[in-house]
Amino acid sequence: MTADNTLPELDPVVHAQARLRVMVTLNTLGDGDEIAFPTLKDLLAMTAGNLSVHLSKLEEAGYVHITKTHKGRTPITYVALTKRGRLALEDYTKAIRALLDSTGGIS
Amino acid sequence: MTNDGERVPSPEETLRLIEEQRVATVKALRGDPLLLYAPWGMAWLLGFGAFFLHYGLHGVPYAPISQNQALGVLMSAQVVAGGLAAFGIVKMAGQVRGETSAKGTMYGYSWFVGMVLLGVIATRVSPMLPAAESGLLWAGASLMLVAVLYMTGGAIYLDWPMFFVGVWIAAVNALGVLLGPGWHALLTAVLLGGGQIAAGFWLRRRM
Repeated sequence: MTADNTLPELDPVVHAQARLRVMVTLNTLGDGDEIAFPTLKDLLAMTAGNLSVHLSKLEEAGYVHITKTHKGRTPITYVALTKRGRLALEDYTKAIRALLDSTGGIS
Repeated sequence: MTNDGERVPSPEETLRLIEEQRVATVKALRGDPLLLYAPWGMAWLLGFGAFFLHYGLHGVPYAPISQNQALGVLMSAQVVAGGLAAFGIVKMAGQVRGETSAKGTMYGYSWFVGMVLLGVIATRVSPMLPAAESGLLWAGASLMLVAVLYMTGGAIYLDWPMFFVGVWIAAVNALGVLLGPGWHALLTAVLLGGGQIAAGFWLRRRM
């Protein structure tokens, strides 16, 4: 709980259910690991278009790193959470917990 | 707060969403523990069960099974288990790249090199031993390698259950080798074969 009773600010980039799910999924990967776009899409049950839009927002914020490469002749995109992204998710989770405490939820 | 994605409903629901998504991802990317452990457990249960019937506890066979037939049962069941593991690895290949897959490649080659080296050493030494002791050399040395590599796998992937399965294999193997071929086969079939099947079910329930 925050000492002065001010509510923590929630990061608007993370505070959208779809992007939060993207970040949580990427956060389960080890440091230095990247996940293939189609796998991420299937894990999240999102359409490719929808996921692309959210990834662009996250990339703009510096939270994800996107690598476009080729496997043989097939283009393939890999996605990873940046250090900044991991910190942002950590801060967001802390803020949500603080919010829960201050609203008298389970502490 | 945002206009381009659904808003997160409440703090409680948000925390639940985070946890659910994390668990679902780990499940999908790590694979099913039942498929990882149970086929090897079944292979050892059948294979070492056959060896146990061949050796008997007091040097008298319990069933007319030759050493080669028992070996055939063990090897074919292990090929099935290995095939299932390979299927899992191929399915995962390309989905995630980076440090974890580099670790996996080096770890995979460690298994291969270990098994080849063990084959070289045991092939050289086993003709000097009586048949039962030669079988014990192969089985005991293989299980030593398996135990150490499971423990190493636990260290690489920070996977405590895998580490403790390795400790369990090491302990049962040591006891079995001290007691002799018949006991070694019996303990391996029941405690390690059965144990791996049980571990697979338990780890799946725990996910």
